[in-house]
Amino acid sequence: MSQILKRLKVPPNSASLEEARTRTFEFFRMCCRSIPHVMEIYNLHDVVTPSQLRSAAAAEVRKNANITNPKVIDMLLFKGMEELMNIVNQSKQRHHIVGQYVVGNQGLVQDVSAKDRDASNFLKKFYSSNYS
Amino acid sequence: MASALRSAILRHIRIPATQAVSANGLRLTAVRLMSSHDDHITKDEVIKRVLDVVKCFPKVDPSKVTPEVHFEKDLGLDSLDTVEIVMALEEEFKLEIPDKEAVRIESCEQAIEYVYNHPMSS
Repeated sequence: MSQILKRLKVPPNSASLEEARTRTFEFFRMCCRSIPHVMEIYNLHDVVTPSQLRSAAAAEVRKNANITNPKVIDMLLFKGMEELMNIVNQSKQRHHIVGQYVVGNQGLVQDVSAKDRDASNFLKKFYSSNYS
Repeated sequence: MASALRSAILRHIRIPATQAVSANGLRLTAVRLMSSHDDHITKDEVIKRVLDVVKCFPKVDPSKVTPEVHFEKDLGLDSLDTVEIVMALEEEFKLEIPDKEAVRIESCEQAIEYVYNHPMSS
């Protein structure tokens, strides 16, 4: 184990914005290629399709689209890689994945049926503020 | 360069699948059962499936999609959307497109050409 950890290195910082951009796309491709495995190990076939998960991953990348500092992009890529490793190594549970990437930012409370529209605003706000 | 030349040559070579007769009179056929080499997908099928993938992309207006359409110029997508479409194509045709070649796919035409010339696409 210590042998592996010794060899594990963080790649050097990106020298330019262009390099950071290329690395971002590489990371995104890696995410996309791990989607079939992730769907298998978390048993997600009945709740989501691979293309929805791809779009969710793209949305996560796009959240930080305005950042132009290569060092900050490197840091975000590191965090993204950490998240991907946690998911692929199954350090998370199914509800983490469903909550973060399938249900997404809308939260569990979505005004889809007539019944939901009549629910109290207080409870909706309570759910959305306490759900993460 | 070498791979382009190779695929150009391989596409024009045709070996007729004739029935051979062996020395003791048994007929040997050139049909290889259980072989995946003979059922390479046709160009029409590639075009249809590539267009289906692009049309299914959420940000794309399906009526605008034609075999010549450029992802960024004609469909108004950005570079990340392009990467996403290429990944969808990888999944559809069960390929793994290397990064250097993936960045060169920027239009439906290039995607169709790449998939059609790829020996492993299915």
